[in-house]
Amino acid sequence: MSFILTISFRNLVRQKKRSVLLGISIAFGVMILVTANSFSHGISDVMFNRVMRYVAGHVSVSVFEKNMINCQIFRDKDRLLDIIGRNSQGVRRVDEAIGTMSRVIGNGKSGNVMLIGLDTRQKVSSQDLKEFEESFAIVEGSYESLKNDRIENPAIISTDRAGDLNVKVNDIVRIRYKNIFGQDQAARLTVVGVMKITNIFMSGVIFVDFKNLKSLLGYSPWEMGGLNLTLADPKRDAVQVADRIHADLAPGLARITGSAKFKEKLQAVSVFGFFNDEAAKKKIGSQVSFITPPDKDSLGKKGVLLTAALAEKLGAGAGSKIEISYDNKFGGKRTTREYTVTALMRPIDCLADDVILLNENIFYPLFYENLPQDPLKYPGAYIPVKADPFYSVLVQEWVLLPRTRTTDDFKKKMHQLTAKKSKAAVVDVSTMYEIASDILKFESALNLITLAAVLVLFFIILVGMVNTLRMTIRERTREIGTMRAIGMQQGDVRNAFLCEMMLLTFFASLVGIAMAFLAMWGISRMTFDVADNPLGMFLVSGHIYFLPTVAGVLFNVILILAIAFITAYFPARRAAALKAAEALRHYE
Amino acid sequence: MLMAAMASAYAQATIEELLEKIQYNMDLTTDAMARVTFTQAKVEQGTKTIDSIYYRRDSDDSFLIVMIAPESEKGNGYLRVGDNFWMYRRNTRTFQHINRDENIGGTDARGGDFERRKLPELYVGVKDSSGKETITETMLGKVPVYRFEVTAKVNDVDYPRKTYWISRDNFLPLKEQCFSSSHTLMLTAYYRKYTTANGKFVPVEHLYIDEFEKGNKTIVEISDIQNDRLNDDIFTKAYLENLSK
Repeated sequence: MSFILTISFRNLVRQKKRSVLLGISIAFGVMILVTANSFSHGISDVMFNRVMRYVAGHVSVSVFEKNMINCQIFRDKDRLLDIIGRNSQGVRRVDEAIGTMSRVIGNGKSGNVMLIGLDTRQKVSSQDLKEFEESFAIVEGSYESLKNDRIENPAIISTDRAGDLNVKVNDIVRIRYKNIFGQDQAARLTVVGVMKITNIFMSGVIFVDFKNLKSLLGYSPWEMGGLNLTLADPKRDAVQVADRIHADLAPGLARITGSAKFKEKLQAVSVFGFFNDEAAKKKIGSQVSFITPPDKDSLGKKGVLLTAALAEKLGAGAGSKIEISYDNKFGGKRTTREYTVTALMRPIDCLADDVILLNENIFYPLFYENLPQDPLKYPGAYIPVKADPFYSVLVQEWVLLPRTRTTDDFKKKMHQLTAKKSKAAVVDVSTMYEIASDILKFESALNLITLAAVLVLFFIILVGMVNTLRMTIRERTREIGTMRAIGMQQGDVRNAFLCEMMLLTFFASLVGIAMAFLAMWGISRMTFDVADNPLGMFLVSGHIYFLPTVAGVLFNVILILAIAFITAYFPARRAAALKAAEALRHYE
Repeated sequence: MLMAAMASAYAQATIEELLEKIQYNMDLTTDAMARVTFTQAKVEQGTKTIDSIYYRRDSDDSFLIVMIAPESEKGNGYLRVGDNFWMYRRNTRTFQHINRDENIGGTDARGGDFERRKLPELYVGVKDSSGKETITETMLGKVPVYRFEVTAKVNDVDYPRKTYWISRDNFLPLKEQCFSSSHTLMLTAYYRKYTTANGKFVPVEHLYIDEFEKGNKTIVEISDIQNDRLNDDIFTKAYLENLSK
């Protein structure tokens, strides 16, 4: 083999000009291929790690009530953060997603903006800080000013918006927005900084201190919005982390432990919600006997069912107004609400005596707005077991949506959710690969297009290669005859030509890769002013972003070598098949 | 003297009672159908007028709005039945679930403005530091009115605070100011004209003035009110789709 390699290498060097010219064309093709792949890889990296990551995180935990996507609220912040903390392997950073659209009035001008809460108190790595500053470079003021409690709602605005609204640092702007409950609200912001944004899609952003924005949006200190998780290795870990968090977010039964009062009588009770659908009502009907025949309102939206035993203890009946009270988990308050009993029931081998059932339409508003104490604080209180026939009609703390793997499935899931109009809070765990699998498809499509274009280019190059090889074989026919005459086998002759082409292609590929890196370096140093161009979202600080990978480059080289091999095989085989005597007789 | 005594008696009523009175006067007990015209004027955008037909049945929280003008909005509509609220787009022939704070036809009117909502369930009178509600007898132009403030009892409202001016004679709202939680005046509504329908009152001319962004306003005019019983199939998607053709 080394002898064949030696011959091949010698033949390459022997015809320098031809080898160099062919080598240059191959190198050029490799350069285009590597550059194009790096470009498409860079675009998807920008989309995923610089746009989607800020918008949705690598993994996002969304929680919303009333089927309103703007009503992102989880009522027990510490509980959710505990769950995330237990499943934090591979998680680099956890951010709360707080933002809202707003109408803003500046100095004689108005516009629409997106208010985003920025948590400047959280520690960030130097890498995160660098990436952030590349996208949101401060040109006047500082991000630190957002923490200044002495200023009314400090805010950082983009240069574009500052120009549109005719405002500068220290100016006050008024905003109109909807809080998480859909209420129209107004507030004043003080401009403490101006930032330059390179991505046109982010130019309408105003950063406000995270705590201030939460307060403006109507969150209590123990409540939170959705979460965006940034991972160390998203491609490897995103799905696993999402699956783990999802498993740990399984809800329990929604339960209120408190007391019921009618006139002067007081009784400890457990309060549960029941589903408002026909199947649940039918199940209830089969599991209890009603003291008086129920009418359409008994199990309706304002349905309040008392067990007969409880009703007897309280001295209440259908139509009585009872008071339900319980201690809140937060705020040290006690909630008291009055309800009209719509029916008395006698459970058959299920539930317990001191139970009140509320239709989910009235249960959930009570439960969420005044979260009850942890059930574990009442060790003696009744908890239905899963085997209890009534368990399936009782509502849970929230609805956990199933995990999906693709954007299409994710869209279907959201569509079904909107149609269902659940009263419960809805929790969803997604990775950005599901939310934005179209971006992956976009990258694949881009790779396919560049590959197709480069293959066309290579086809042209390979025509030259084939021609060159045929010329070489023709010129060296007598040489082939000599080699065969002195005992070289057909296979060796064929391999000699193949090795020659493979060596040429290999060295040309190395040169092509070097040229590609040089070209990428040169192009990435060019600055493009694309402030008003949507394509600016693909740039990083005004520069084209290339991301070559070892696997990508290796794949390209192996592909080119494979193509060269196939191209050279048939002429080389024909050359090897020449008879020695005929070859020796050949004369040009 | 009798009227003065009656007025005095009502002046001593609670805000909750006044809200109940407003609700009673304006709750439709029968179905209704009317033509509704929205005229919206926005600074830098000019004036936009939308004509629509409005069907309403309070007994099951249903209403249907279908746009009949201008051409760009014609055939589009909104259907609400119970908890379900859809928007229909004629050009795509699709229904989309929306929420009650969705804008109607791109105007500042929202779906929630057309539904029946019980004021006493949503709002409660504002009390001063001594726990006392204040109902002031004053004049709105030449009309004697009661003026009082309310605050939201629940989160699911458009504005957390409101001030009402209601006629002392018939307890109909004549003016309403809507405030944010920070007490910023956001909207002023004037109910300039009422008509009666089956013993109930319907405001046929409303003026909404955007107090946050000066210069924006919307006028809503209701005409051709009919109170005949409406067919059940009116409050269906199929009917809206057919109307839109």
